[in-house]
Amino acid sequence: MSEPEPPAAQPAPRRRFAWVRASTDRVPTRWFAGIATGVFLAVTAAFGGLATAATPSLAVLEPGEAHVTDQRSLTIERAVLVDELPEAGVYPDPDENQRVLAVVATVENPWTAPQTASATSGFSVSAFAESVSVGELPAKESANVRYDDSTSGPWMQPGVPFELVMAWIVDADAYADGDELEITLNTLSLYTASFVAEGEWWQDPTPSARMTLTLNDLGAGS
Amino acid sequence: MKPWAAWALGAGMVAAAWGVALVTPGPAEIQAPFVISVDQGEAGVGRNIAITVESAHRSDRATDGAWSADGNWLVLDLSAAAVVSEQAALLNHVELEIDGRTFRASERPQSLLGTPLSVGVPRLGSVAFELPADLDHGAGIVRFALNPDTRVDSVIEFPVEIGALEPEDEATLLSTGWANP
Repeated sequence: MSEPEPPAAQPAPRRRFAWVRASTDRVPTRWFAGIATGVFLAVTAAFGGLATAATPSLAVLEPGEAHVTDQRSLTIERAVLVDELPEAGVYPDPDENQRVLAVVATVENPWTAPQTASATSGFSVSAFAESVSVGELPAKESANVRYDDSTSGPWMQPGVPFELVMAWIVDADAYADGDELEITLNTLSLYTASFVAEGEWWQDPTPSARMTLTLNDLGAGS
Repeated sequence: MKPWAAWALGAGMVAAAWGVALVTPGPAEIQAPFVISVDQGEAGVGRNIAITVESAHRSDRATDGAWSADGNWLVLDLSAAAVVSEQAALLNHVELEIDGRTFRASERPQSLLGTPLSVGVPRLGSVAFELPADLDHGAGIVRFALNPDTRVDSVIEFPVEIGALEPEDEATLLSTGWANP
């Protein structure tokens, strides 16, 4: 243990920096708030004020045009209304005034791992279902089946395209022949987990294109 | 203790800690599956999975009798059994890794994918992979496991050379049944 040094009681340094105090006293600090507010308002006005900014308009696709992202390629072809579609595993109740709205699309998986084309993955909505929203229809509640052999909950193998049917049970009065269906196509980004989680998945759907489909009423069945 | 000795000891301990951090296996190694690699006709026995791949076929058309589809198919005939427990012993993980891509056994035909396995009594059947039309060569590895999460459990690996398989007109998946030893 060394001896504690005696406290330096020297008045010289205090006097040496007196000019700092003198000069800062001249700064008009009481105007700072006003100046900052003025600058903020000027900058805001320069960027268009507080009016709602126009959202960038989305690319518009025609039916049959492919929407290609790193996650999946989706080519929506048509949308139909039918009374029943047992092949898709949906059973509307005619007594409850229910019908089936089905969207037919070609899907392909450009990624390196298989992905489900089901609407759900476990108990949550699947990344595939998050990549498209059809009107106001709930993404999680569609029955997704293959068009060719009616396999339900099909998987998209990398590089193997197929035709997919997405079918919803809807209220018969809510949709009619010739109605226009607004479709939003979303881009998801790949997330690679680290630290406590493991794996890779697609998340954060962001609208990147839209499409208007005209509903075709096929009557009793397809 | 002399000051130089304390410094040397401290530096030595830092170097030793660095060495320990270097040789400690990372999370991937700690949780790696236990891999058993087998060739055709050879039994691969893991913790609770026993797989014998009997034959491999490639064809432009696959059928299971009731269902059929065109495409680029790889069909494997195999027998599969559990080893210690039938609890949650389903063949849920059948994947082919080739050319940097992973394919899952197709859910379209009736196959061994997802079937429950019995202890000691093999089930005989097939699994089918639907591949891109232009994938006609290359070395791949088929992996069999009970759970899609293969960490710290047995994985049976079967190497397959796609180009070495003579394309057939039609590949028929065996209907799943008991193996006849």
